[in-house]
Amino acid sequence: MWINMGPQHPMTHGLWNLRVRIDGELILDVDPEMGYLHRGIEKISEDRHYNEVITLMDRCCYVAGMAWEHLYILGAEQALAIRPPERAEYLRVLCDEFQRLGSHLMWYAAFVQDLGLMSPFLYGMRDRDLVLDLFQSYTGARMTYEYMRVGGVRNDLPPGFTERARKVLDWLVDRFREYDALCLGSTIFRKRCDDLGVLRANEAVALGVTGPMLRAAGMKRDLRKDRPYAAYDRLEFDVAVADAADVTARYLVRMEEMRQSVRILHQVLDWLDRNPGPVLADRLPRWLGAPYAPVGDEGYLLKRHYPKGLGFSSVEEPHGEAQAYVVNEGGQHPYRVKFRSPVFANISAAKSYLIGYRVADIPPIMGSVDVCVGEVDR
Amino acid sequence: MTEEGTATEENPVLYVVRPMATAAKQFAKSLVRPSTVIYPFERLEDPAFREEVAVASGKPIGVGAIWDNYRGVHALNIATCISCNLCAFSCPDLCIEMVTVPGGDPKHPKKCPEIDYGKCSYCGFCSDACPEGCLTMTTRYELATAKRSEMVYSPEKLYEVFRTKLPMNPIRLERPENEDQILLDPPLCIGCNACARDCPTACITMLDVAKPEAKAGEKLPKRIWKEPVVNDSDCVRCGTCISVCPKECLFWGKRP
Ligand code: SF4
Ligand code: SF4
Ligand code: SF4
Repeated sequence: MWINMGPQHPMTHGLWNLRVRIDGELILDVDPEMGYLHRGIEKISEDRHYNEVITLMDRCCYVAGMAWEHLYILGAEQALAIRPPERAEYLRVLCDEFQRLGSHLMWYAAFVQDLGLMSPFLYGMRDRDLVLDLFQSYTGARMTYEYMRVGGVRNDLPPGFTERARKVLDWLVDRFREYDALCLGSTIFRKRCDDLGVLRANEAVALGVTGPMLRAAGMKRDLRKDRPYAAYDRLEFDVAVADAADVTARYLVRMEEMRQSVRILHQVLDWLDRNPGPVLADRLPRWLGAPYAPVGDEGYLLKRHYPKGLGFSSVEEPHGEAQAYVVNEGGQHPYRVKFRSPVFANISAAKSYLIGYRVADIPPIMGSVDVCVGEVDR
Repeated sequence: MTEEGTATEENPVLYVVRPMATAAKQFAKSLVRPSTVIYPFERLEDPAFREEVAVASGKPIGVGAIWDNYRGVHALNIATCISCNLCAFSCPDLCIEMVTVPGGDPKHPKKCPEIDYGKCSYCGFCSDACPEGCLTMTTRYELATAKRSEMVYSPEKLYEVFRTKLPMNPIRLERPENEDQILLDPPLCIGCNACARDCPTACITMLDVAKPEAKAGEKLPKRIWKEPVVNDSDCVRCGTCISVCPKECLFWGKRP
């Protein structure tokens, strides 16, 4: 019998549909269906100025907007041959890592709620709110930041930000201990999650699964280390890995990643305190668009022979490896923008980690995948 | 990886009790100071939230405050607006329309932005682009109305927001020092005066150029023998001159 879990189902966390073929309680086959949230972001980008696409990136993944802004910006900068100042690179790492904390806390809240635990859900949301508050205090908005610009970032940190941020980090480290006491310390949690949703490394690689799901299978792959971008090559951190490849292992990997994020953030905050400087490249072409005025029409720019180029970037987003391809044909707008969503690959592999388990196991397993439908459908 | 709190086989009662003890601790703390804000009575823009008081629950309050750089409803100072159109150009949602306000002369009507908040995404690109700093964003965020038409804020209504003296967004984008200028392709120019007429800052002057001697058998182009010269320090880089030029002879570049 086929049943539809979704598009409106407490398990899905967003608009998508998991079709499941069951025999009694046993899962025989699954068929994920995506596309309910398609907004045509790639197509819309083709008639937005390079900077205006940033507004779409925040809406692309609504729990990790900064990571997607960073992804697009790296691609666009490569296509336009612009280099950001060093301080902007550190500020971007700051954004990325805070976003990783925010996203993983959101994942924690959603995941424990899937297991039926309400109090940890509230703790997760409460602590994520602190991260959003920090974002708000320097970008001006809680979720739609529009902070990065081609050639740097919009503004520098306000005075007193680094002290506030350190306080939040210290507070969060305390909370991680509490989370572990609540989850790992609970035998019920361990009995429910151990040996569940196993996806081994060889299979994960074959299916294009990336991010914490791959690292939970024992594969030490992290773009921040393997293909460093921004300032990651100047920072010290470890890649979190676990071996069990099950739901608990994914929990452990994400918790460890949050601790590593705190470690990175302390280094970044220290660096930012010591090194003031410009945050936007000092020579930017006027035709970039907002906040600079667009001029003339496309034909005008093509006639003037502005430089062309291609940009490819990949970023270790909280959910996995995201990639962007930006084609600059010399106009005001990117000619084509293509994104690769890690969650799309992670959900598409559902057959290999769901079949053989029970219906009641679906919420914890899919919860441990960390689904953000905004970036799946774009 | 932390081994802290890893479970072992033991009395099933402890399964439940141990995590509950942690939760109970949190509950006790939240009685002293909850993490939530009692909204209409407490407001996040209150200065009290900016002070970093150490509270019983340990939550670093003061992080949650709405700071002056919050991107809320816009404030427009009509008096200093130069009708340069930059805000409308840079809006990704096309929610800004330039409408005529009293104060201009018949040849150059004064136009100020009218913002449709039904479409606005509060991205702040318009206030970033405004060269005069007259379009800023404030900490106001309550916009509920009974009618959809009230979501459209005319320049006068935006001016009222300006007059409430709400904290204004202090962030000004620094102009890059070495930015592109308006350059002219002299052979293409026909001296039509369109750029000088429409420049919002009146920084273009039409200067006479020498009319070359026509060689035998060659016809001089039909044109007015004047050429625009841009006063670079007054130019706000709005690009109006480029878009009105009929011959596409103005362009962005750097004087060598
Ligand atoms: S904030 Fe953004 S969307 Fe709103 S009017 Fe300004 S540019 Fe347009
Ligand atoms: S950008 Fe500023 S000065 Fe120019 S039209 Fe808009 S509000 Fe007026
Ligand atoms: S860009 Fe052109 S129209 Fe705009 S202020 Fe400068 S010279 Fe005047």
